Amino acid sequence: MERSFAADVKQLAFGNGQTLRGEGILAITKALLQSGISYVGGYPGSPVSHLLDVLADANESLLAPLGIYFDASASEAAAAALLGASINYPMRGAVTWKSVVGTNVASDALSNLASPGVIGGALIIVGDDYGAGASIIQERTHAFALKSSLCLLDPRPGLQNFARLVEAGFELSEASNLPTMLSLRIRAAHLRGQMICRDNVRPAISMLSPLHQPSFDYSRISHPPSTFRHEAQKFELRLPAARRFVLERGLNEIIPGEDSQVGIIVQGGLTATTLRALALLGAADGFGRSRMPLLVLNVVHPLVPEQILDFLAEKKRVLVLEEGMPNFIEQEVKALAYDRQLKTEIHGKDLIAAQGEYVPQVIINALTRFLAGEAEERRAALLQHAGRARQMLEQPVPPRPPAFCTGCPERPVFSALKIAQRELGATHVAADIGCHAFATLPPFNQGNTILGYGMGLASAGAVAQAFDRRVISIMGDGGFWHSGLTAGVANAVYNRQDSVLVILENFYTSATGQQANPSSGVNPRGQAVKMSIAETIRSLGVRWLRLVNPYRVSDTLAVIKEAMTTKAEGLKVIIARGECQLERQRRAKPQIAAKLKAGQRIALPRFGVDADVCTGDKSCMRLNGCPSLTLRENPDPLRDDPVAHVDESCVGCGLCGEVAHAAVLCPSFYEVKVIRHPRFIERALDEIRRRIIGLLQT
Amino acid sequence: MNQMTEVSANRPLSILIGALGGQGGGVLTEWIIAAATHAGLAAQSTSIPGVAQRTGATTYYLEIFPERLPEGAPEPVFSLYPVPGDVDVIIAGELLEAGRMLEMDYASPERTTLITSTHRLYSIGEKSVAGNGIYPRERIERAAHALAHSLVAFDALAAARAVGSEANAVLLGALAALNVLPLTPADFEAAIRAGGVAVERNLTGFAAGLKVVTAAGARDVQPERAWNELKAERARALRSRGAAFLKLCAQAEAEFAASLHRTLGEAIARLTDYQDERYAADFLARVRQLVALGAGPKLTELFVRRLAVWMTYEDAIRVAELKTRRARLARIRQEHLSDDKAVLSVTDYLKPDLDEIYGILPAVIAAPLARRAERRWPQGRPTLAQHVRTTTVTGFLRLWLLGRLRFLRPASLRYQREFALLERWQQAVFEVAITDESLACEVIELAAVIKGYGHVRRRLSAAVARLLDETLAPALARDRAAGQGYAATTELLRQERQAILSSEN
Repeated sequence: MERSFAADVKQLAFGNGQTLRGEGILAITKALLQSGISYVGGYPGSPVSHLLDVLADANESLLAPLGIYFDASASEAAAAALLGASINYPMRGAVTWKSVVGTNVASDALSNLASPGVIGGALIIVGDDYGAGASIIQERTHAFALKSSLCLLDPRPGLQNFARLVEAGFELSEASNLPTMLSLRIRAAHLRGQMICRDNVRPAISMLSPLHQPSFDYSRISHPPSTFRHEAQKFELRLPAARRFVLERGLNEIIPGEDSQVGIIVQGGLTATTLRALALLGAADGFGRSRMPLLVLNVVHPLVPEQILDFLAEKKRVLVLEEGMPNFIEQEVKALAYDRQLKTEIHGKDLIAAQGEYVPQVIINALTRFLAGEAEERRAALLQHAGRARQMLEQPVPPRPPAFCTGCPERPVFSALKIAQRELGATHVAADIGCHAFATLPPFNQGNTILGYGMGLASAGAVAQAFDRRVISIMGDGGFWHSGLTAGVANAVYNRQDSVLVILENFYTSATGQQANPSSGVNPRGQAVKMSIAETIRSLGVRWLRLVNPYRVSDTLAVIKEAMTTKAEGLKVIIARGECQLERQRRAKPQIAAKLKAGQRIALPRFGVDADVCTGDKSCMRLNGCPSLTLRENPDPLRDDPVAHVDESCVGCGLCGEVAHAAVLCPSFYEVKVIRHPRFIERALDEIRRRIIGLLQT
Repeated sequence: MNQMTEVSANRPLSILIGALGGQGGGVLTEWIIAAATHAGLAAQSTSIPGVAQRTGATTYYLEIFPERLPEGAPEPVFSLYPVPGDVDVIIAGELLEAGRMLEMDYASPERTTLITSTHRLYSIGEKSVAGNGIYPRERIERAAHALAHSLVAFDALAAARAVGSEANAVLLGALAALNVLPLTPADFEAAIRAGGVAVERNLTGFAAGLKVVTAAGARDVQPERAWNELKAERARALRSRGAAFLKLCAQAEAEFAASLHRTLGEAIARLTDYQDERYAADFLARVRQLVALGAGPKLTELFVRRLAVWMTYEDAIRVAELKTRRARLARIRQEHLSDDKAVLSVTDYLKPDLDEIYGILPAVIAAPLARRAERRWPQGRPTLAQHVRTTTVTGFLRLWLLGRLRFLRPASLRYQREFALLERWQQAVFEVAITDESLACEVIELAAVIKGYGHVRRRLSAAVARLLDETLAPALARDRAAGQGYAATTELLRQERQAILSSEN
């Protein structure tokens, strides 16, 4: 795993009154334990991967002794279905995933969960990956809450408030029978602060005190005619119960203000940004004391009409700050005001950029329009130097997109794919989700579509039939085990698709932090489980299957060319097997250090470029992009262009040499093996060689 | 700090860190937070590390309330985002990232302290341009000077390496030394100790960073070495050909403007080393022709550089010779070894294609072979892949013997072909030399397009040949007809050259 959470695990065991320091996601994890959950599961994805990582580390010492089951769910769908335990039994459970994509995957199970509803609190922690730093499509999780009748929490940032809402979220779920979602934005998940803990709670039903009687109740099965009753219950019983609970327990907050003429209704998650913007515009102080009142919606669904109307009453103008489109909250607030025939002016998207992340500049702009007067001067002062840097820089600073790590086993596959297409002609490449999606960026620019996790091959279905050469699909082992096995491979074999599938098996779900997956050989609980992609694919009836060592670019290239040109029909699968380099280095580095310290013989491979042989054409860069393959000033007094250079971060994977060979580039690359603490015979031989060579050298 | 009952500050201090994934920005953030906690100050941090360790640009953002808050006091509101123009400290782990923070208007000349490392890690866009795609650092430096209230810029990576530490620890030291946060060096040191990872190494780096700032960030610029000194060195390196080199240098110095002496000398050294005295003399004759046409020193200098590099094109003989030099193995030793007790094994990745192999043979023998090969394999020619272990005697001998074949060069097919194009280019340069200096420079620059080996060089050579034969003459004719100077042709050539250099293949 990318990080060790040993220190965090200790904090998860904290009791009453102890202070936990860490990220928002840790506070939430701690609050789950304080809520007496019987089970927990999920699928990794930024920004909630660490919730699962820390639980994996805590499983043995903390979860197992409490009898809590930790499920390393195979997908978000599996995680959502896990919550089925709370339909019939009074067990609290929590699952987590990245939204909105994970919620999409989970939505079948979610609908079937939400229809009968739950008797044990069911909480879904979704990491909302929306906005500037996002890695996925821009949609709102809110829509799922509306359509399936889930409660949706959007807590004001702060570890203590996160914990409060997790605990309240379980009670809300039980009071209303609605599964509850808690949405966490990226910056909130990684927010580092502190909270005061409470004792962890041992669940009544658990692995240590199991159930003895199954509960059979047809009215709790998602099947007609029960579903008709469920639909009515949602709107007649459950949502009203949720509203009562939100109001009675004060889950939403009112920040008072002297100016009773105006007000702001804000999603809980935007509160800190809004208060900072107000402070900068002179309408609040640094402690959140505002001139005008704010209604902070820690619960964004369901809204509580009487609370909203109460807030609107007597006010002339109210601004609704709601991130993303459609603007469900603003519309509902306006509808409520209309029904009650209030005269209050309600503003929202008319004053603020409709789409995109609500970063401070956006909210400052909106508030300036809303407040006018002094705010305008303050905003102008804040922006007095805006644009000057861009003017002085003359051209935009080059982007620095994420890329494959140094020594990554996936990079060479894309080097080979790019060379293959130069030789055979370009073809359609169906990309997928995972680190390998970086191949869609420079320098590879490989990948025409991304259709979702594990969906690359499926997305090639029609294109493959309508293309005059074979198309290529990419899949990682994470994607394969998530859904690529069925939606991709089984689907392609069943439809007798004639195309090429490249599976990058690096033994971890790497993009989210090297979580274990079925290819890893061990599950996150540390139990040995080895599932083989090759055997699975063979058993599905794939006849053309090749395993390649990705670092041998020429071999991979030959196999790709064979796959593209063979007469064999059907799906041709190439599995490129190489361990995630981050994980490998994490293991190798301490080993190397120990050997060096102990004075044991060790050969360390590195690559280099002869600056006088390199002509600076950069062909190698366009087929490689390794971070350690970089530039240096040309040492040649007669040449100006920078030359290639391998810096000291090189891990000696050999790709640069292999690419130079496979693409017939140039003779500049060399491999140097530094043998530390050599054997006597090696040193003697080296001495002799150096003497002989020395005689000839000029 | 004393326990205060009244809080006078009204806002937290804000710190924005711009870094690259894997650079240790997260750890730097944790240290600052831990230092604040150590000082009893309320603080909050957040980050977008979604692509941490994946080398993309990442940011971290912290806020620290500058005074201790008494029990029961209202809590300050911490923001999760920096606000443009409202940041107290910006720390950039690399120069381009400082540029990025500036570009986004975060810095304010009224209050922002900017601490940046000046080393560069090139972005993929900069790396993959054939030629020079490096972002001009002066622009970032200019913006930093203008838009930061105070600026500390130094090579944190070099400073870290000098003491065997990491750049993030050095930057932390610089932050501590500047005294812009209400935290003492002791607070930061406690934070490093509490981190518990590589404590001694990080403390060393931290101390180095403290010192850099107190020493006013002295930058060491290496002065350019005197040409006379260098000339003697070049002569020594040329051994038996050294005397010939010095003779030609003296000749050139008597004949050409003083501003050209150094460049001419380097070129003569290169050509003598590449072939022999006659070859270098032939080079000088070509330069003489240009000067006779009335070319000024700027144009001549560019011509000298490009011509010398072209005339020393990298054939298999040259590569073999460069790879077997004493200086080369010494350099590798120095770059990859810290002690002399280790053993080095160097493997060269060579893959000459058929053209490069028969290219060293005399044209009479090779030309018919070449014609057949070109018909048989119009695209990619067969290649001879080899991994030569240059540190073994047999491996070394293979390359060394190849490097001895210099005498074959003047009669070789490759020589014939290179000079066929070179002469066309030279002719074009001479034709426009007195017409228009910018245009002439642009024509000369075409030589710099020809780079690489094998098919890469063939493609680029063909592109230059096309420009010379098909683009230049009609464009010149158009400009002459219009009678408005040669700006249009110059611009056209510049664009065509850029297009070739940035083309994907």
